[in-house]
Amino acid sequence: MSINEEKTNINQNDHEIDTLTNDRLIKDHSYDGIRELDNDLPPWWKWLFYITIIFAIIYMLGLWVFDWDSLYQEKEYNKEVAEAVKTAPKQQVQVELKVLTDASSLENGKATYDKICQVCHLLDGGGLVGPNFTDDYWIHGNSLEKMFAVVENGVIEKGMIPYKDQLPPTQRLEVISYIITLRGTIPASPKAPQGELLDWPY
Amino acid sequence: MITNLKFMALEKFTYDNKLAKNFAVATILWGVVGFLVGLIAALAILWPEVSMKLPFLTFGRLRPLHTNAAIFAFVGNSIFTGIYYSMPRLLKTPMFSQKLGKIHFWGWQLIIVLAAVTLMAGITTGKEYAELEWPIDILIAGIWVVFGWNMIATIIKRRVQHIYVAIWFYLATFVTVAVLHIVNSFELPISLFKSYSLYSGVQDALVQWWYGHNAVAFFLTTPVLGLMYYFLPKAANRPIYSYKLSIIHFWALIFLYIWAGPHHLLYSSIPDWTQALGVVFSVVLIAPSWGGMINGLLTLRGAWDKVRQDPVLKMFVVGVTSYGMSTFEGPLLSLKSVNAISHFTDWTIAHVHIGTLGWNGMMAFGMLYWLFPRFYKVKLYSTSLANTHFWLATLGMLFFAIPLYFAGFTQALMWKQFTPEGFLKYTNFLETYTQIRPMHMLRAVGGVMYLTGAGIMVYNLIKTAGAGKFVRFENDEAPAREVKPHGNETWHRRLERKPVLFTIWALVAILIGGIVEFVPMFLVKSNVPTISSVQPYTPLELEGRDIYIREGCYNCHSQMIRPFRSEVERYGEYSKSGEFIYDHPFQWGSRRTGPDLARIGVKTTKNYKPDSWHYEHLVNPQKTNIQSIMPPYPWLVENDMDIESIPKKIRAMQTLGVPYPKGYDEKAIDDLKKQAHEIASGLRASGIEVEDQKKIIALIAYMQRLGTDISKNAGSASK
Ligand code: HEC
Ligand code: HEM
Repeated sequence: MSINEEKTNINQNDHEIDTLTNDRLIKDHSYDGIRELDNDLPPWWKWLFYITIIFAIIYMLGLWVFDWDSLYQEKEYNKEVAEAVKTAPKQQVQVELKVLTDASSLENGKATYDKICQVCHLLDGGGLVGPNFTDDYWIHGNSLEKMFAVVENGVIEKGMIPYKDQLPPTQRLEVISYIITLRGTIPASPKAPQGELLDWPY
Repeated sequence: MITNLKFMALEKFTYDNKLAKNFAVATILWGVVGFLVGLIAALAILWPEVSMKLPFLTFGRLRPLHTNAAIFAFVGNSIFTGIYYSMPRLLKTPMFSQKLGKIHFWGWQLIIVLAAVTLMAGITTGKEYAELEWPIDILIAGIWVVFGWNMIATIIKRRVQHIYVAIWFYLATFVTVAVLHIVNSFELPISLFKSYSLYSGVQDALVQWWYGHNAVAFFLTTPVLGLMYYFLPKAANRPIYSYKLSIIHFWALIFLYIWAGPHHLLYSSIPDWTQALGVVFSVVLIAPSWGGMINGLLTLRGAWDKVRQDPVLKMFVVGVTSYGMSTFEGPLLSLKSVNAISHFTDWTIAHVHIGTLGWNGMMAFGMLYWLFPRFYKVKLYSTSLANTHFWLATLGMLFFAIPLYFAGFTQALMWKQFTPEGFLKYTNFLETYTQIRPMHMLRAVGGVMYLTGAGIMVYNLIKTAGAGKFVRFENDEAPAREVKPHGNETWHRRLERKPVLFTIWALVAILIGGIVEFVPMFLVKSNVPTISSVQPYTPLELEGRDIYIREGCYNCHSQMIRPFRSEVERYGEYSKSGEFIYDHPFQWGSRRTGPDLARIGVKTTKNYKPDSWHYEHLVNPQKTNIQSIMPPYPWLVENDMDIESIPKKIRAMQTLGVPYPKGYDEKAIDDLKKQAHEIASGLRASGIEVEDQKKIIALIAYMQRLGTDISKNAGSASK
């Protein structure tokens, strides 16, 4: 507060100096003993401010005047998809339908199963929402072709999702080959049989 | 320094320290509670068993409890401590009314207790950081007015001519928080414990994040800058680096901050122009924010030797530096290309904790260590314990944040990664969580360190208090304020003589941004293109939605598919603004601890699940996947839904503009029962024993409805 009676403007000649920094103190600024220095804004700070303002102006012009695609998310998305279709189209390579028995394929199959299929068929294949894989009862048949078709196209009305767009054919074949190995194992709490009793073709 | 004081008539007066001390004690108490709840929440993500199948210990309820406790209880009380201590001294007058102060104190503590009880009970509006239901909202508004009234009346009866920069920040805080709280809390009550947001969908999102972002700005930032401007120069005994910088950064900060809210909604369904405003105003905020930081740090020039010895100053330095870091990172996160990665991940959580643990926590701790010896007229019990606290807090913060940065980045990249054949590499969401789980463990270790530090502080301060005697009254003297001509003062200096005018200008500054963003959103139709196939929820789905809100599912699940190839591939067609018009409130979420649910009901999407799966999963998520971190909700099978309230809810929705046919409230219960019976029969057919009226049926109906409106041919499963 101003306690100096004579003048409130700062007189160049009788200002106080902060002894530690040699900066000028503002004369009538003292609040509960807190003084203020008369320093200017640091130039780098001012430049930072100006540059960000210029950035902002250009950005808004880009949106409103120049119609930059990258500022419209729908255009950006369409571009991303078009590019993906060109450079990395979803490939549905044909696989030979043959039960895989080599260790690495079965391992891959198990990995897929444990990540994706177990949420409905359970880890040990005992079945929960989806049917039990350890028994000899099958809703859609137990031939490789039939199983492959179910996994590819799903049975959406019953809650089995199509995996056509989620897993490439090789991975589907691997996971089915793994399921085939589950038959005859003893799950913790097997689901009651669903479908028909079929001969085991493998 | 001021030599001619003695020539003037001095008036004697007394400061009453009781309020500041009470608030300080509350700060410490709620701080420890808030950190502890944070830690329990951190453990509950890691091990769902921590929730012990108790509704109030599930993550969905713990997270709002933690954020409310940390922000409004811990930081709130610390702000009031500092304000009630510094304001009378800066204005050379006791507070206007000790009684108003007392009402403020007890009112605020009551609000905190009510908040804790209601949030744990699942009573929530479902809007982040504004979860409290309408009766508490009204109480908050009332107590806030008491606080502001006392503050402004004190300023008016001050003895100093001009108001100091700390007071500017307190005033701006008061008006802005009042505006934010009131505008965001407009809701239609249907009972004492339940209301619906007046806004819906895109508009609700915009208002909510205007509020949410500015809660950070005007509750966690501006008042704490005010505290910095008092306690830092006091503790260092140094003059403020630059008065000019104070002016520029103050006005720039409050004017610009308000605009930046949409940076929480980048790539969401809000219009591109709104997003762009959020981006540019965030970027322009760097300099004004750093203005505060450099005015704090450069005030310490000439005192760095002191900083090395004094734990108070050390904490202030880390606090102010953390402020600088988070205000640099914030604008970075507002760039769309960065946000595309950071949003919905732990990157955000890391970011907010640099701000809260670093800036808010350290400023509060430093202030408490400075105040207690003064309250009790003794030396601090132990400087070395304070130093230990300093290191635990600093390292705890780093242990907290660094793993989360890593986790956020890792998870985002996993979400986006495609195989050369064009399939998502990590189809299973849980895989991407399991990968970052170790990082969450490290985060919990950081939390334990931070909490331990706070525990040491409690001990140190109790010992300090025990060694002295509380000095309630302190005398001071100053000349009366006479209205003197302003001479050739600058325009700003003149404004500092007129606190009411100052407040009005601050109000104008903070209103502009909000108005420019809201008015077109509410009035111009093209901002929310309608989609004719979007229909209101059925009564059962509405009930399910209320359960979703009540259990706090939005704390882990988003409902917003962004227009990226990877998200469309994983979750289905990206979200459109017209889909949310009946969502009072919106439920877009802010962190994907679990997968997005915007189209979980759409049969052509990859994460579609049948009713029976939802049942099994909700009752025991670890059954459907042992690695799941979702807590089990067995009470959904035991408890009945609230059927009686349905007509009231339908009428409330009609009032809010949802086009149910006239008189539908009377038919709603029948429709609800019919749909519930259909779903329950389906479940019973697949061997699940469940009754029609259980809560889980409504929640399943809601799940199966989500996202289906714009893909009619896919239909919803329950039909
Ligand atoms: C959302 C739950 C769910 C998931 C996930 C799931 N399934 Fe299924 N699955 C089912 C249901 C339900 C059925 C029964 C369909 C019916 O009744 O027609 C089924 C049936 C099947 C069948 C036919 C069984 C029979 O008896 O004919 C096969 C094979 C199969 N699933 C394989 C898989 C594979 C492989 C995966 C993982 C890639 C998988 N499922 C993931 C729910 C699921
Ligand atoms: C022991 C110390 C703390 C721990 C262990 C902790 C833990 C957590 C956890 C687990 C979350 C939820 C994260 C998620 O969604 O995945 C969270 C969120 C949050 N915390 Fe803390 N916290 C602590 C201290 C604080 C403090 C001191 C503050 C403020 C002063 C704070 C403010 C917040 C905020 C604002 C969020 C919300 C983030 C968002 O919206 O995404 N926390 N914290």
